[in-house]
Amino acid sequence: MRAAPARPGTAEQRAWEHWQARRRWARAGLVYAVMLLFAIVFVGPLLFAAVSSLRTDPLEYPPSLAIPQLQPGNWAAAARLGQAGAGDRWFGGFAPGAVVPFEIAYFVPDGIDVTTPDVEVPRRRPGAGLGAVLAIEYAADYASVSELQRLPDVPMTVETSDGTTRGRRVAYAFTIRYEGDGPEIDRLPLDVTAAVGMQYLESTLTASRLERRGRTASFNDVAPGVLGYVLRNYVRVFNEVRSPATRQSLFVAWIGNSFTFAAVRIVVTLVIASMAGYALARLRFRGREAIFMLVLFSQMVPLQVLFISNYLVLRDGIFTIGGFTLSSLWGYPGGMLNSLTGLVFVTALNAGAVFIMKQFFESIPREVEEAAMIDGANHWRRYWNVVLPMARPALGALTILTFQGAWNDFFWPFIVLTSPENVKTLPIGLLSFRNTYGAVGDWGLILAGAVMSAIPVIILFVVFQRYFMEGVSFGGGKE
Amino acid sequence: MRTKRSDTVAAYLFLLPFLVLLLIFFVVATGRAIYFSFTDYDLFRPPNWVGLRNYAALFADALFLSALRNSILFAVIVTAVQTFLALVMAAVLNQKVRGIGFFRAAFYMPSITSSVVITLIFLWMFQRRGLINYLTETLQRQLPVLLSFALILIAVQVVQVAWERRRALPATWTDPALLVVSLLVASGATWLLVTTGVIAPRDVAPVDFIWLQTRDSIPSGAPFWLSVPIPLAAIMIQNVFTTIPTFMLMYLAALQDVPKSHYEAASIDGANATQQFLRITIPSVAPVTFLVLTLSMIGTLQMFDQVAIFGDAAPLRSVVTLAYFVYDRMFPGAQTPEVGFAAAGAMFLAVLTLVVVLLQRRLVRSEGY
Repeated sequence: MRAAPARPGTAEQRAWEHWQARRRWARAGLVYAVMLLFAIVFVGPLLFAAVSSLRTDPLEYPPSLAIPQLQPGNWAAAARLGQAGAGDRWFGGFAPGAVVPFEIAYFVPDGIDVTTPDVEVPRRRPGAGLGAVLAIEYAADYASVSELQRLPDVPMTVETSDGTTRGRRVAYAFTIRYEGDGPEIDRLPLDVTAAVGMQYLESTLTASRLERRGRTASFNDVAPGVLGYVLRNYVRVFNEVRSPATRQSLFVAWIGNSFTFAAVRIVVTLVIASMAGYALARLRFRGREAIFMLVLFSQMVPLQVLFISNYLVLRDGIFTIGGFTLSSLWGYPGGMLNSLTGLVFVTALNAGAVFIMKQFFESIPREVEEAAMIDGANHWRRYWNVVLPMARPALGALTILTFQGAWNDFFWPFIVLTSPENVKTLPIGLLSFRNTYGAVGDWGLILAGAVMSAIPVIILFVVFQRYFMEGVSFGGGKE
Repeated sequence: MRTKRSDTVAAYLFLLPFLVLLLIFFVVATGRAIYFSFTDYDLFRPPNWVGLRNYAALFADALFLSALRNSILFAVIVTAVQTFLALVMAAVLNQKVRGIGFFRAAFYMPSITSSVVITLIFLWMFQRRGLINYLTETLQRQLPVLLSFALILIAVQVVQVAWERRRALPATWTDPALLVVSLLVASGATWLLVTTGVIAPRDVAPVDFIWLQTRDSIPSGAPFWLSVPIPLAAIMIQNVFTTIPTFMLMYLAALQDVPKSHYEAASIDGANATQQFLRITIPSVAPVTFLVLTLSMIGTLQMFDQVAIFGDAAPLRSVVTLAYFVYDRMFPGAQTPEVGFAAAGAMFLAVLTLVVVLLQRRLVRSEGY
């Protein structure tokens, strides 16, 4: 090995510099490539799940990114069909007076007889589980399918692994009508069954699946509208999963509960942590060290130790003596299980937040307060008027971290919110999705719900990235 | 500063809400858990003192032993793998480049989303006909192509480095400029070989590996304490995936503080990349390593969410952890709750966690960091 040539300005020196510069550029390029690779690995599963959640069946094999829901041709068709079905190009439907035109094409190899396919509007229940208990109207009761009209044949060949097959393209057109009066129905399923040997090629809208060894092209909805088609699983999450008693959409209830829980928990955390943090950082009093040690120690005890007693505390409404339950003072005579209030109580102890606020208050110079002290302000005024306004950055960071923590919280909602379905928060609701729909392999609904529940935190992260990064150093860097 | 009476009164008023919560939900809770662990409490009848019977019963309980085995294997394997990978990835990425913020955000994505979302997505990927099996199958099928790519890459790089060294330029075996050329040449050559049909993907049997609904473990036939149930391995993979980015970024921050001159001095002395990694990188981030190890051990020993979310998708014995064991004994479905037994399990978990933390503290002190 040798070092750089000593004589500057020579040709040799210039070649050397050129060589070095080339290496720097190449290294930067490789680093970006590796970072891109890592980013794909880490974001990949989320993105792939998001794309697959559009699929009719996300478990369809092989996994693929080329899915009918992402093809513009299908979007246009879905809009047109939705317009024809219920005058709604976004969400579609099947309303009285509708005339839905449809075409379907087959490849028929030479030597196979062509028989007119059989078209039927089936009575299919939407999904399984939580949605199946609801009484619904079926399009089958109101729809009538016209005669199939055979369009001109077109000669064509198909390449397969065995070689070239000659034949022709045979296409049919028909309409589905809503005759007479009746309710508007939100979906129009369709089954088209052809003779053996006729191979499904394409149709106005790509078939949802092929059944009976490819003979039956099955459509979940032939009047879906654009959103009804692309975001079908998402629409199902809202529409199909309803409380049996009130018909209220459970997913909407869960979103509401999650937001309420997060909002209340933020307020409670900010108030309690800033007050306690102020006292620990600024006031000298007997027992300060002991309390601080307790704060540190409380973070090392596993949740499982605490949850046994805390569960009982909620069940008993803090405490019950001689028939009097303390929580009946604020409207919970039967204990606070299965209520957001109980959940807020049991998660209100947040030693980490107290720690963060204490650290922050210690970083504010004392002189700021001393000026107020000379003016004769008491502790409360000094906290409320002087120190707290200066703590906005810390309170902001704490708000965002608390929101994320509350929104994602699993353990306590899992323990406290068990029944009925509409008291749950989103993560626990998603778990009951998994229990009901995972067993029957209906992953479209589960993935759509999961993707939607991730969105608020992702938005928050994109906007307030800085706070999340600091959160890591709050939690980790203080050892 | 002197303690003033008015300060004390004010301080306790400020602390009142926090102290009430701390008292009810921490002090009383810990006390009651300790007390229950010595009783036969079952939620309905008043507790009777049974002494150490619950603790003795723990080690005769098959589910607890499974939980203990799973928790320890999970904590040790996941901590080792994710710490090592995080450090290696951080070392690879340790360059001052523009636009790191974007990538940093991308790396954080898995760790900001909730455990439920990530676990559901992984459950879906681990299905029998899911993405993981598909990728494994694709990898097996494309093995000839990948191998020839790697061989061509190495050959071209060797030729180039040899050529540069003949010209008396100090090229290393991983010289970035030459590597870019080698990558391009290897890609082109592989593409040519595939299109001309010289090498073709293999025919392989479809991969139908069952990740979830199985009682098998790996390595098969290993003694009880060393066998990892396959569903638990699936959770390990998921956990490593979600935690690596956080630790990697912690390492990256530490590495950026290591003076570049150390590496330059080492390379003048003729140390290669591996030697530099072992002799400079690892020692200079040792404090971060201890922090990462502690955080990781605490997190993994208390793993609960994934087990609860897997639910009946995998046999309980195969995924149960100490944390879930406590929950399971507290709410055992149709059976009578065994609160005393659950509390004993919880105390065991608490002591185990504390021992790990204290051991690591002691280790850190004795190493002088």
